[in-house]
Amino acid sequence: MTAQRRQAKSFGGDGASLAQRSRLTRLATYVALVCAVIAALAPVYWMLTISLKSEVDQFASPPRWLVFSPTLAHYRDAFLSRSFGQYLATSATVAGLSTLGSVTLGTFAAYGLARFRLPAKLGQRLSLWILSTRMFPPIVSAVPLFLMMRDLRLLNTMAALVIVYTAFNLPFVVWMMRGFFQELPRELEEAAMVDGDSRLGALFRIILPLVVPGLAATAVFCLIMSWNEFLLALVLTQTDAAMTLPVGIAGRVTQYEIKWGVMSAAGVVAMLPILIFAMAVQRYLVRGLSLGAVKG
Amino acid sequence: MMVKFDNVTKRFGNRAVVDQLSLEIDEGEFVVLLGPSGCGKTTTLRMLAGLEDATSGDILIGDERVNDVPPQHRDIAMVFQSYALYPHMTVAENIAYPLRVRKVTKPEIQRRVRRVAEMLEIDSYLASRPRELSGGERQRVALARAIVREPRVYLMDEPLSNLDARLRVQMRGELKRLQHELGTTTVYVTHDQAEAMTLAHRVAVMRGGLLQQFDTPMNIYHRPANRFVAEFVGTPGMNFIEGRFDPGTGTFNGRGLVLPLAGHQLERLKGRERATLGIRPEDVQVAVAERDGWRRAVVYVTELMGNETLCFLRLGDEKIIARAAADFRAEMEMPVWARLDLDKADFFDAESGEALR
Repeated sequence: MTAQRRQAKSFGGDGASLAQRSRLTRLATYVALVCAVIAALAPVYWMLTISLKSEVDQFASPPRWLVFSPTLAHYRDAFLSRSFGQYLATSATVAGLSTLGSVTLGTFAAYGLARFRLPAKLGQRLSLWILSTRMFPPIVSAVPLFLMMRDLRLLNTMAALVIVYTAFNLPFVVWMMRGFFQELPRELEEAAMVDGDSRLGALFRIILPLVVPGLAATAVFCLIMSWNEFLLALVLTQTDAAMTLPVGIAGRVTQYEIKWGVMSAAGVVAMLPILIFAMAVQRYLVRGLSLGAVKG
Repeated sequence: MMVKFDNVTKRFGNRAVVDQLSLEIDEGEFVVLLGPSGCGKTTTLRMLAGLEDATSGDILIGDERVNDVPPQHRDIAMVFQSYALYPHMTVAENIAYPLRVRKVTKPEIQRRVRRVAEMLEIDSYLASRPRELSGGERQRVALARAIVREPRVYLMDEPLSNLDARLRVQMRGELKRLQHELGTTTVYVTHDQAEAMTLAHRVAVMRGGLLQQFDTPMNIYHRPANRFVAEFVGTPGMNFIEGRFDPGTGTFNGRGLVLPLAGHQLERLKGRERATLGIRPEDVQVAVAERDGWRRAVVYVTELMGNETLCFLRLGDEKIIARAAADFRAEMEMPVWARLDLDKADFFDAESGEALR
């Protein structure tokens, strides 16, 4: 950037006005970006401060933006006195197991779709059909899923959520991994098979090690989606034993009181893993998603 | 007999990519499958490797019919055009891979990897990863991975085509020596006729899925089975003159060109009206000064190659390429004198292009 500026200066006359204009454009861009960042982060900031404020400070008017005496009381309240610790464990278990399930199943399916020639363009059609299930709004399936889980006697169990999340994440995994597999030359497996390995051996020894970054990104995305899911968790679980964190937090809004502090504390804790994971894999995510889009 | 294709056909949809191919390759032989892209040579190799299924016909390695044997049990090794090195493994791990999956003991793997690496002079890169290597080095690693195991047959799919011209010639020589030392049956695919001529014991020329000729390089060059083979092998390609045979005068008449034929040639053309005469550029002599019995021609263009000069002539209304000495100089449109060494000419059927012998 400094080099550019130096260059613009050395041109003089016309160059200066050009440089001025580009500086103006850049300024406008930054202003717009700052606005967007403020809009995106304001609720996070609000939640974070509320979780640390005493109840008096929470409702002070005008609001105490930065100066207040912080307290961890709400965190203690949420995770020690109330069941939020248990919700957290449920969320982690459900997200972990469903991610394991969808990534395992989806990776094998994606490999098949990426590598085997099926008759009548079945590979292509099957892939699109799998993708189409993702366009399907979850609310449409909420009631049928509720009825199915009731008949299976799985209501209010973690198993119900694991099964449903696995199914909902599967198309995403298939499409992401299919893109990663298609990016690898077929000759790699062919060489491995000629070298004496079976196809499955080649998959495990050659192909999977090469798609580990993609696999990790896909898994994290699944984790995030399962972790954040609210609607189906609300419909399928109503007891503390199987309630996930988002449902638990929403449950603090009652007709008698709204525990802002407790909700915010739980919200901050719920947000942290997502934040960390998303930051770790955003590079791969953009690449993986656009790959699928172009090659599909 | 080591490898045998018996009436093998491969179809993709309705299109026969390899059409009723029959080929027998001897033990220890170096056979090159040669042809333009899309001629079915790579598909033939991939069928032998087990990477494609034959639609019909039998493929044999040794005495075993291998049509239904998966690649890993065919006891072959293959060098791919792209080398297909495993990017996440070191050179040593790449070379060791065929041994590792066959559960060879660790010390034995180490010993053999080292020996092959020394043979191919890549022992100093054993700890590097493929992406750190140059094209020529990668090529050697791919070769090392193929020969570390001592398989029954080596398959090579245009292994030199990604190298620059100089390195290609060097590796070509080394491949030839290597195959000679190992004595292992090798099937090699290329579209480069120079590679085919220099490497092969026998060359199989293919076109449009059909085998055109399977013979020694000498015979492929000097006794081509048809016009396609004659044209494909040799740079520049053979000259062709389409014309009529006049039995009365014993001459072959091209456009503005009358060529007297010898007795044995008359025999070959007997009963035909039309035919194609083929003559290699080195069998056309050209001189600036007039000589007895030579024909007048006009220089269309000359190309200096350094070691020789290619001279494009108009002879009558025919265009003919002659291979002249390096110091031959002539301007465009300059009249020169040419002689066709008709004893060395070939004749081909005007329609089918089959050689007339």
